[in-house]
Amino acid sequence: MNELRRSLGTVSFALYSAIVVIPITLALIRLISVTGFNPTGWFASLSENYVSLGVTNFTVVQATASTFATLVISMPIAWVLGRYKWNNEPIIRSILTLPFVVPSIIAAMGILTIVGSHGLNIRSDQSTWWWTLVISHAWFNMALFIRFCEPLLSSMNPELEEQLRLLPHGRTRLSRIRNLWLPLLMPPIVAAACMTFVFSFTSFALVKWITVGNNTLESMMADVSSSAGIAGYMESSSNIVMGASLIQFTILLTSLWLTSVIQRKQSYALDFSRSHHSKKIDRRGLIVLIPALIFASLPLISVLIGSFRIRNLNPNTGDFSWGTGGWEAAIEGGFSFAPVAHAFGNSLGYAFLTLIVALPLGYTMALTIYDLEKIKPRLGRLLDVFTMLPFALSAAMIGLGVLIGVIKINPSAAYKFWALPALAHVMLTTPFVVRIMLPAIRSYDKSYDENAKVMGMKSIERFFRIRLPLLKGSFVVSSVFVLAMSLGEFGASFVIARNTDWVTLPLLIDAWRGKPMKDPFAAPASNAIASVLLLMTMILFMIAERFRNSREGGMF
Amino acid sequence: MLECTGLTKSFSKTLFSDLDISLAPGEILGVLGPSGCGKTTLLRCICGLEGLDSGSIALDGIDITGTEPEDRGIGMIFQKPVLYPHLTVSGNLALASRIGHKEALLEVGLSGFEKRTVENLSGGEGQRLALARALLAEPSVLLLDEPFSALDKDLSERLLGDVRSILKARDCPAILVTHNRSEALMFSDRIMDMPDSS
Repeated sequence: MNELRRSLGTVSFALYSAIVVIPITLALIRLISVTGFNPTGWFASLSENYVSLGVTNFTVVQATASTFATLVISMPIAWVLGRYKWNNEPIIRSILTLPFVVPSIIAAMGILTIVGSHGLNIRSDQSTWWWTLVISHAWFNMALFIRFCEPLLSSMNPELEEQLRLLPHGRTRLSRIRNLWLPLLMPPIVAAACMTFVFSFTSFALVKWITVGNNTLESMMADVSSSAGIAGYMESSSNIVMGASLIQFTILLTSLWLTSVIQRKQSYALDFSRSHHSKKIDRRGLIVLIPALIFASLPLISVLIGSFRIRNLNPNTGDFSWGTGGWEAAIEGGFSFAPVAHAFGNSLGYAFLTLIVALPLGYTMALTIYDLEKIKPRLGRLLDVFTMLPFALSAAMIGLGVLIGVIKINPSAAYKFWALPALAHVMLTTPFVVRIMLPAIRSYDKSYDENAKVMGMKSIERFFRIRLPLLKGSFVVSSVFVLAMSLGEFGASFVIARNTDWVTLPLLIDAWRGKPMKDPFAAPASNAIASVLLLMTMILFMIAERFRNSREGGMF
Repeated sequence: MLECTGLTKSFSKTLFSDLDISLAPGEILGVLGPSGCGKTTLLRCICGLEGLDSGSIALDGIDITGTEPEDRGIGMIFQKPVLYPHLTVSGNLALASRIGHKEALLEVGLSGFEKRTVENLSGGEGQRLALARALLAEPSVLLLDEPFSALDKDLSERLLGDVRSILKARDCPAILVTHNRSEALMFSDRIMDMPDSS
């Protein structure tokens, strides 16, 4: 590790610690000053207050069920995609993995259109809400299983299975699953399951809109956050936030730790083969593939259709009619709603601001972890886990941390500092940059750098002429991920954006949808804005797909 | 006894046509031919991993042409040893048999390797383990697809001698395909040249 890299690494980790640790620490100090240090009281408050009663149980049960449902739905899809040969495979893979980058508020709008009164019409029955949420989480997270497992399935040396077929304990299909597929697929399955559990546990927009009245820890915290951290005012809110945060932090950190341990213990040096050697043509896979493509695209198509469907106020003229009224309402805005162009500008501004900070920060941290893995492996692993800390904090907690932390430093900034939401977006997106860049840096052949050195190139020149072009794909994918996540970020922005001038596209969708349904444009306008956001996300996703290395497993 | 009659296989070109092979109990046959002539495909057809265009295969008088590879009782050692990285040496052997690991490892000169991970084995050790595992399954016939071609000459010759002794001690019939005539001469009781199908 040379001096420049060491200095950059130190600065990047110091900055990241400041961005992540300081607001959260200040928020904790603030909350503790209001509630007193009383862990028993924090946890007890969760069962004492009607706002939080049963929330922990509901969160854990729905996250577990969602993880199981995602596993059951996704693994056959990953199998047919990985083991069989398909025409237009990149397009199929893109459609099936798009849901993961779609902002959850868009998914919520699409799913509401499907299950709503002009769709399946099952929302009148409260018992279906729970299942709708579980299936929605499966829709949202199935890309994780596909992304984590499909590279292994598609590129594994076929001789591993052929050899097993010739051995006594590999003669039956079941024994091959038990002795080969299951042990090899276990690490990516466990990693995907843990991440699915984490995302389902911290899901906000889907919970808020699909299960009205049934809170998760995340949505409940976001709800009570406005009254938390204020001395002498609704102290129960601060108690609830402390109890919920601690439970959430413990469970999420355990999930991430489990992922890390299992991946490290079972990271086999697999003998990969070229994917066209292992794949075969089997049209029976269409039984899985066609329903999967419909399942993946239906909520997105529903958003667009829903933007043109306007409820008729006069029952004599039918249930609904088709028109562009929703789009017009969204474009014009209203007395209490910003025009879509205003939210669009804010969203883009926050996204690019986030990118400017998160990309170099994530890259230099990934580089430092890589350097430390060789000289101080334990420290390298520790910092690797540290960069994942925001995964364990959840968006609402981060939003609350930023808000309370900033109020502590400079109260007026909470209402005047336009860039504040971008701070939370940096916290949420930087871990993804590290996770995407680290495998790329690990697979980068250092002889390229060494050769450039002997040709007399200085470090800056080497970066721009050698390293950047070779790692271009990962940089583009990271950038796209940061932009897409920031554009669609809802939980933290919902908590932080106290100034209505800071409204983003997801917040505007939420505001329109929250309007009383007697306004016929409430649903179509929210769907129209969701369509704009969806279009932006899809463009970014298509750019990322062009640069994605299909053989790289475990990448988001 | 293995009887192959009229074996024919082609992909984009004909690899072999109307080929007959007969293997007596305990006999070791060397099949010689240049790279790309279809030697590996021939072995894959015999053990059932590839289907034949025409021809029949009988083992001890029973027609196994349409039998699945897992039910033929024929073992094969691939050119590069296929070892399962998620299992230890002992775990790899357990895929063939739950017992007799110590003796099997002793036979191939890998005593005390039971608990080792396969990632740490050298090329020669890996092939020895693949051999031990294949023999532990007690195959009716063992097929060897140039298993020592990636090793240096000295090691390759030593292993060939060892494997031949083990096969003879067990009276296990085998077919070795190779492009190396001296290797085939050293290892086999009888040599067959792959017919030129062009």
